[in-house]
Amino acid sequence: MNKKYFTVPVRAAIVLAVICGLIYPVAVTAVGQGFIQYQANGSVALLNNTTVGSYLIGQSVTSPDLFNIRNDSASGVDPDITVVSALNQATIIHNNTNISMSYLQKLIHNNTRYTLLFFGTAYVNALRLNLELITAFHNRVTLYGEIYANITKS
Amino acid sequence: MHSDIKSDMNGSNSGRSHDEKVSWKNISFDSVLRLNPVKLISNPVMFVVELSFFVVLIMALDPSAFPDLAHQQDRLFYGVVSIILLITVWFSTLSDSIAEARSRATAEGLKKLEAETPAKRVHVKEDGGREIEEISSSELKKGDMILMSKGDQIPIDAEVSEGIAMVDESLLTGESAGVRKAKGDTLIGGSKVVSDSIIAIVTTDPEDTYIKKLVRMVESSKRPKTPNEVALSVLLLGLTGVFTIILIALIGLSVTLSLGADLSVLIALYVCLLPTTIGALLPAIGISGMTRMSKNSIIAKSGKAIETAGDADTILLDKTGTITIGNRLASEFIPVGKHTERELAEAAFLSSWNDDTPEGRSILELAFQKGFLPKEFDALREGVFEEFSAVTRRSGILLVDSDDFTLPKGGREFYQRHRFRKKFDLATTMVDDTTILKGAPESIKERTGTQNDEFDEVVNRVTSEGDTPIAVSIHGDVLGIIRFRDVLKRGIKEKILGLKKMNIRPIMVTGDHPLTAKSIASEVGITEFISQAKPETKYQKVKEEQAENRIVAMIGDGTNDAPALAAADVGLAMASGTFPAKEAANMIDLESDPSKIIDVVILGKQLLMTRGAVTTFSVTNDVAKYFAIVPIMFASVPALQALNFLQLTPHIAVLSALIFNALVIPALIPLSIRGTKFRPQSTLRIFMKNLLLYGVGGVILPFVAIKMIAIILVYAGGAL
Amino acid sequence: MIGIRHILVIVGLWATIVFFAWILSKYLETVYGDKESKLDRIFIPVENFIYGLIGLDKNKTMKWKEYFLNVLIFSAFSAVVSFLILYYQGYLPINPMHFPDLSWSLALNTAMSISSNTNLQHYGGGSSLSYLSQMVGIQFLQFTSAATGLAVAVAIFRGFAGKKNQTEGLGNFYVDLVRSLTRVLIPLSFIFAIIFIIIGIPQSLSGYTLVRTLSGSEQILKIGPVASLVSIMQLGTNGGGYFGANSAFPFQNPNPISNYIQMALMMIIPTSMPFLFGRMINRMGEGRTILIASYGLYAIDLIIAFIPVTVLGAGMEAGIGPFSSVFWTVTTTAFTTGSVNASLAAFNPIVIIPAFMGMLIQATPGGIGVGTMYMLMYIVITVFIVGLMAGRTPEYLGAKITAGDVKLAVIGFLSHPIIILIPTVIAYAAGYVHAIGYGTGPTSFTQIFYEFTSAAANNGSDFLGTTGNTVFFNVSTAIVMWAGRFIPIFVMLAIAGRIQERRRSSEISLRTDDIIFPIVLIVSILILVILTFFPFLAIGPILMHLEGIKNAL
Repeated sequence: MNKKYFTVPVRAAIVLAVICGLIYPVAVTAVGQGFIQYQANGSVALLNNTTVGSYLIGQSVTSPDLFNIRNDSASGVDPDITVVSALNQATIIHNNTNISMSYLQKLIHNNTRYTLLFFGTAYVNALRLNLELITAFHNRVTLYGEIYANITKS
Repeated sequence: MHSDIKSDMNGSNSGRSHDEKVSWKNISFDSVLRLNPVKLISNPVMFVVELSFFVVLIMALDPSAFPDLAHQQDRLFYGVVSIILLITVWFSTLSDSIAEARSRATAEGLKKLEAETPAKRVHVKEDGGREIEEISSSELKKGDMILMSKGDQIPIDAEVSEGIAMVDESLLTGESAGVRKAKGDTLIGGSKVVSDSIIAIVTTDPEDTYIKKLVRMVESSKRPKTPNEVALSVLLLGLTGVFTIILIALIGLSVTLSLGADLSVLIALYVCLLPTTIGALLPAIGISGMTRMSKNSIIAKSGKAIETAGDADTILLDKTGTITIGNRLASEFIPVGKHTERELAEAAFLSSWNDDTPEGRSILELAFQKGFLPKEFDALREGVFEEFSAVTRRSGILLVDSDDFTLPKGGREFYQRHRFRKKFDLATTMVDDTTILKGAPESIKERTGTQNDEFDEVVNRVTSEGDTPIAVSIHGDVLGIIRFRDVLKRGIKEKILGLKKMNIRPIMVTGDHPLTAKSIASEVGITEFISQAKPETKYQKVKEEQAENRIVAMIGDGTNDAPALAAADVGLAMASGTFPAKEAANMIDLESDPSKIIDVVILGKQLLMTRGAVTTFSVTNDVAKYFAIVPIMFASVPALQALNFLQLTPHIAVLSALIFNALVIPALIPLSIRGTKFRPQSTLRIFMKNLLLYGVGGVILPFVAIKMIAIILVYAGGAL
Repeated sequence: MIGIRHILVIVGLWATIVFFAWILSKYLETVYGDKESKLDRIFIPVENFIYGLIGLDKNKTMKWKEYFLNVLIFSAFSAVVSFLILYYQGYLPINPMHFPDLSWSLALNTAMSISSNTNLQHYGGGSSLSYLSQMVGIQFLQFTSAATGLAVAVAIFRGFAGKKNQTEGLGNFYVDLVRSLTRVLIPLSFIFAIIFIIIGIPQSLSGYTLVRTLSGSEQILKIGPVASLVSIMQLGTNGGGYFGANSAFPFQNPNPISNYIQMALMMIIPTSMPFLFGRMINRMGEGRTILIASYGLYAIDLIIAFIPVTVLGAGMEAGIGPFSSVFWTVTTTAFTTGSVNASLAAFNPIVIIPAFMGMLIQATPGGIGVGTMYMLMYIVITVFIVGLMAGRTPEYLGAKITAGDVKLAVIGFLSHPIIILIPTVIAYAAGYVHAIGYGTGPTSFTQIFYEFTSAAANNGSDFLGTTGNTVFFNVSTAIVMWAGRFIPIFVMLAIAGRIQERRRSSEISLRTDDIIFPIVLIVSILILVILTFFPFLAIGPILMHLEGIKNAL
């Protein structure tokens, strides 16, 4: 086979690698960073103006005073828990912190999403619940206060 | 023999036993010889079954040869499995042997026609003189000159170069009437000279005659394989490959995953998976397809032609010979003016006495039937008789004047030629100054100067009814009209209807006047026809149809037809036709029956369908057998026994499935050899019917049959 | 677990996809046909510029052999580009996390995996690939392998459409490739990448960020050019995600909306291909047959998958839920994409059976371009048997099916079990399975069998993941992926090239565009595939189920 047979495919591979591999993702990044910065940078969660993670990445907590995520999931960082699980955990949080059940239920209710948008399994973002709890009760619940202080210190 | 061949159309086999004296002893012996693995390699499915037999046989003889795979250590079981496998292969070779034996029986009958016969070879000496040498027919070569006299059998296919003779071709064609052969006509080996002598040039080498071709076609080794048979063999080879890979993988996994599957069971599954039924019967189906063709005296030059015939979309049918019997025949005498029917008929009789064309003969016949014998008849009989000679083309009476009047051969141009008999002069002693004219109405009018409204009216009426009027006059006085009409071939209407049901368009081609053509066409249910066709019309039509992407079948016999025959997808030439026509065609009908084209289409379809039916049955059968055996394969894995819904124990399941697998083959031999029943129907209906019968039936039957065989085996085992 | 509302979700998604696929097919006809488009004014100068750069004579048409050779050579060179980037990523720029080079076997496996549209991931994308590797090593090949699939499909369609003039071949591969990129894949990917960012998928080149969590521990937020990759990996039925956990990782699939948009993206082009086929051969009914047969088989797979009750369990994301996880798993294998939104090990073994079926059939509707190609292969085989049964020489679209076509189709069909089963047996027999800590039970067999099935079907979903990063599995699956990609492409281009030359009959005696034929086609595909693979499913997922193993872990 003559050399000419290879020139077109080789040049095509290089040219298209530049177009598809560099120009395209850089263009998407430019639009993302230019106009949709919050999401493009990972939907970070703030507590008292300090970054404490991303709403999309679950955080394990050791204390029964906060909503905890499941440890067995495919990604290992599932940020969501089912509403059933959240309500179960709410009872424990209520017992430990004396935060009223009605507040907790309302909190869960306000953050409930459904896996099929309008129906399907109901779920909530654990980090979102925790941040709301800490913001609202860091003066009343010891653990919340510690977390709040640590975040502000660093 | 011949009537039998015709009744065999569409696969009915009744009354054919006498030419199929097949010897079961020979068949059995032959089928055992075919078990030779080297010979079997051409049939890959059966070859691997035989290999499987050897493997299981070794297991039976020494189970320790397969330490990881012969778990059951049951030598009796292995022995029985190996025997069933061998029987499976034997059933396959048996079907080949039966099919071939039948073919050979057919071929032998044909071969007798061409058995060694004495031949007279003519040598032209240097001084121009000729020398006759008596030799055997097998020594003849293409181009030799041979002499045949009255009573001689024609030793080989040849073309007449000198002389005229009558030849009896009934052994080949079934037509009892002798055929007149003159320079340029074709002689078929095996036919017989019944009058005169002729010299002819041999046109083929002894190994290449039409009969030899026919014989070769039915012998499996030289049988031309049809394209779909080749394609199906490829598919079967592919399936064999797939299942061989499965077998290898299962053997490998059984050892590495310690599944405990027994090699004999794996092989049983493998054999059940293989399309053994179609694999075993494929050659027999092919052989039988060819045999059916040859029983209809059709030589296919290639396998492809047979199948293409089954695909035809359009058939060009010659009116003459296909739809109507050869010629138009006299059916009525219509007198005009004061003349009586008797006057007309007697004059017509006299005028036709020495006219040996079918038209002429039909006039004599009609007059005779109606009792109109002229008074001169006795005188005729007392006249000077001349023995029939093909040279003078007349017999019976010596004529003083034999003007060259002949009614043109063949009905098609009968009407157009303005020839007529100028003067019919019987022996002057009998009829003085009698001038009988017979011919086309216009020319008779012109000749006699008649002006007769009634005559014109009769002529118009007969013409408008699609018939041909022939006028008769005596001494310038018009007597009346003889009506000639086409006589339909028996069963032609049904055949045309069948074609239409199969969505094949019949187109009638004729040289007739459009009115005549239309009348005949509508009578048999044909809507498309070409009238006043010239020889090149057929070629144009073939090309036209092909341009619209249709597959065209046609028949032909004349040199004029050769281009069309070559262009058509299926060209069927008459054996009686000219050499160029036969060269151009891809099939030749030894019986020279133009309506055969319809049967050729049906035979093509039947061949495909038989193969398709057995294939479907074979594949759907596999599905059922498969699910009977898979759970058995992993008998040592208890959880998988949930799949064992037939509730069979391993040995019984394997044996039942294998026995069923083997028995299906002989059960389908008759179908394979006879062919599936074919009734003209639309392709979709045929398909749906076969799908239900062979597809769904193929899935259900094995479950029932395997369970029943299992019950019998268990019962028999218990009884022992 | 499945109720009427779930069925409505499935039917609603299907109806939406089929509708948009139908519209897309009209547009695709202008991309690959002679019809002019209003967008020509924008695209033609861009394309001509690209043709100039690669030195292409765009008017040169290729016969099937030349077309195939160019597909193969181009794929090889693109894979080489990717291999070099991966193998030397430690030395190359745009690597803020300073990831080291990949091993030769992993780089080889990855390059051959993405270039064959498989996207088997023996690498952990988020934890071992630099941004440059993700973009040029992975994303570039995701574009070109998808475009190659489209190009091959339209070349095959042209063959089946027949000859319009004497000089016509199957088209020009590079023109088809470039136009697939400029007019279809890049614009659509761009639009959906932006939509994905809006929904919450990150798109950044500024490096991973380290955060302190509520409990005081450190957490790395793996942000990168994710949205741009996710859109092409779904649209091009590639399936290779930015992260090892693929679309089960929240950054790649943050919520139900992103979940269903991703499913829609993987379905849209394969669903439009039957319509495009109908348009290109000028018989919409034939396209409908392919669509009905594909979706019929897809429906059968879904029904099987929903037999066991799947509950939210280990390996599934709460925000996606069990229904969407099962629906996605069947869909990703039915379209041979291979992206996952839950760990395969999370499912009841019964759910794994339809996943296998999707990969064993490869035409339900199958991957981008090639799915319809496989269906045409099954049609050739089915039409052959059906034709015989009806007493006519088998023909498709009026062209007779000859022994040569059957031989090619059989080679295409036969290659699949060979490249799946033989390596599976070798992996066990030579101890490579044992070497990665797997035993001989049904669970382990299912996972190894799945690995090679996924590789051969150019699917890419797998159980092994980074466990498969051994020299044996890297090299063996690399070979299987390329064989599984290019043998069928060779076979079908050859058939298309032959059929293009063939005389067509206008009398269709046995219709392939009615409702009966798709049913016959479905049954014949199921018979062929079940006959071939049932024993292996029996000792894999079926045995797991019967032994009461509740999920594939």
